[in-house]
Amino acid sequence: MAQVTLKDITKKYGDVQAVENMDLEIKDGEFVCLVGPSGCGKSTTLEMMAGLTEPSAGTVTIGDRDVTYLPPKDRNIAMVFQNIALFPHMSVYENASFGLSLRKIETEEIDQRVEQALETVEMSGTEDRMPDELSGGQRQRVAIARAIVRDPDVFLMDEPLANLDAKLRVHMRTELQRIHKELGTTIIYVTHDQAEAMTMSDRIAVLNEGKLQQLAPPLECYNQPANEFVASFIGSPSMNMVKGTISHEGIVTEEFSLPASIADGDGLNIDQSVIIGIRPEDLYPASNAEQAGDPTPSVDARVEVLEPMGENIFVYLDVVGEEVNQSGMEGAQGASQLLMSVDPSFEVSEDDHLPIVFDREKIHLFDANSGEAICHQISTKATPDEITTDGE
Amino acid sequence: MEENTTNSRVNVYVQKAIRRPGSVYKTAFYIATFGFLVSTLFPFYWLTALAVTPQDQIYGLGLLPNGFNPGVFIEIFQQAPLHRFIFNSIVLSLATTIFVILLASITGYVFGRLDFPGKVPIMLFVLAISYFPPASFLIPLFELFTGNVSILGLSSPDLFNTPGSLILPFSALFMPLSIFILTTFYSQIPDGLEDAARVEGSTRLGALFRVIIPLSAPGVVTAGVLTFIYTYNEFFFSYLMNNGQPENWAPIVHGILNYQTQYEQLYNYMAAASLVAVIPVAILVVLAQEQIISGLTSGALKE
Repeated sequence: MAQVTLKDITKKYGDVQAVENMDLEIKDGEFVCLVGPSGCGKSTTLEMMAGLTEPSAGTVTIGDRDVTYLPPKDRNIAMVFQNIALFPHMSVYENASFGLSLRKIETEEIDQRVEQALETVEMSGTEDRMPDELSGGQRQRVAIARAIVRDPDVFLMDEPLANLDAKLRVHMRTELQRIHKELGTTIIYVTHDQAEAMTMSDRIAVLNEGKLQQLAPPLECYNQPANEFVASFIGSPSMNMVKGTISHEGIVTEEFSLPASIADGDGLNIDQSVIIGIRPEDLYPASNAEQAGDPTPSVDARVEVLEPMGENIFVYLDVVGEEVNQSGMEGAQGASQLLMSVDPSFEVSEDDHLPIVFDREKIHLFDANSGEAICHQISTKATPDEITTDGE
Repeated sequence: MEENTTNSRVNVYVQKAIRRPGSVYKTAFYIATFGFLVSTLFPFYWLTALAVTPQDQIYGLGLLPNGFNPGVFIEIFQQAPLHRFIFNSIVLSLATTIFVILLASITGYVFGRLDFPGKVPIMLFVLAISYFPPASFLIPLFELFTGNVSILGLSSPDLFNTPGSLILPFSALFMPLSIFILTTFYSQIPDGLEDAARVEGSTRLGALFRVIIPLSAPGVVTAGVLTFIYTYNEFFFSYLMNNGQPENWAPIVHGILNYQTQYEQLYNYMAAASLVAVIPVAILVVLAQEQIISGLTSGALKE
């Protein structure tokens, strides 16, 4: 068991910066997910922790040891791979005992530890089977057994569930959490699936373009995303983003405005370009405005598409401001599309006109240039009590 | 009338062939197979016929043996230590094979699994060696192995009449083919398996021997068997790099030519010895044929 620290890690492949000045501190016993879109450098980061890839600059520390240039075998880590990577020519027992027998441990102890590890992953009695006789989920269990049998300081998992079918994946998620609880070992887990990251980890490290965007507990990433990228990446369906500007009355977009009192010192300036972020579940039909913590006046919208999901309905809305209507630009680029999630009991059909309200407590503002978060709710003071659209 | 019947017979056959083209292909297949069999097996038949014909009956030998003298297969061993020559050849070929597989494995690993600048040119250069006519190496190698080349005042070791003078050129000539085969195979082993082995505690070399080579068994066997066969059958260096004495590691080629002396040419002995010399390779091919076939065909098509 050990903490893992990355300090100023950079990895270049030719001219391509795979990972850039990454600082990451993972505590002892923590379950941390590295999450991000493909090509964001998360697997490279993990490989550098494992020692399979050498960083171009920076240091990797596991426990108290600087392991930056140590080969993987000397780091006391274990890894579970996306393609499972059981040795196809070895039985389950031989696979699980591979690392132990390399360390010249006595046969009796190996037997005992393999048995225990297989028990932990609920695969007892399969010692003599070959990997190709096992199902996908069983193979991944054996791979996990191979990892835990050595009692490593850190588990590194590179999308271990990506190749499993959806049902099994959800099941294995809880299994992994159980194993983590049982062993208490530090786990660093790479995934592109934000749902996996949200459900399993103590903290999430969101990566994009080789840079760490945010390292925080899942709900903090969800409720207080550090920037526009984290906001749109975490949460499904993803957050609505609309360009706007700060004015004395509130936030104004091309199609609508959200009245709010803007005071200096909020990090906001008049005429500043911002991006408004609002999650689908924080938009409400005007008729249900009382469900919002702090509803804005309603905004006119038209229902484009409905996606009934069972537990809720996703409503794709076209928000059309008056001015835009008049200049005949309806449906052009300027029209904002918003996604709203409503209760399945709510009656709505396509092409309906549906006024909506925003929950001001859940509105996020991001700087339009840097994408950094400015605030995660807007002030409710001095709300003009009228329906507003952009313009007059 | 007569002509008419023939015509109608041809017609019937043509009609039949058009209706069932499969039968034509089948016939063509048997004809082609027969052709191949005759061209490959006839030399063996001819050798056998030659071998069992008594020495004094050999002149004017037709397609059939002139007499029957199976004792020749014993006489060849009485006349000369043929077994020693065969033993020499097997030892030389085995040593070359082991040497080639070890080195070619490491080279194949490097070419197949690592990326470095100049990889393709270097690999092409290595391959090019195998296309050189061996004769172009002969004179410099002969000078080198007879201790006539001195580097920095040290004369080269005198390897003439030792196994080294054969194993070294054999390895150099047949290594590129093995490197090529093994590169293809090793490059197809998923990275994850090697990474897993390394994380579990083995070195790169350990992963090569514990995981990559076992999983590439058909390729390794193919490379090994081909190297063994080529070496065993090699004539040029085998003939020239020693003085033909069995105690000087002279291979089988000298064992056969041994029966050709200044005064007599014992063709029946030579034929019999040739047949005996084929046995080790024949056994090897029978044992490994499945692996060789899968190795040669799957190299390009695997998954």
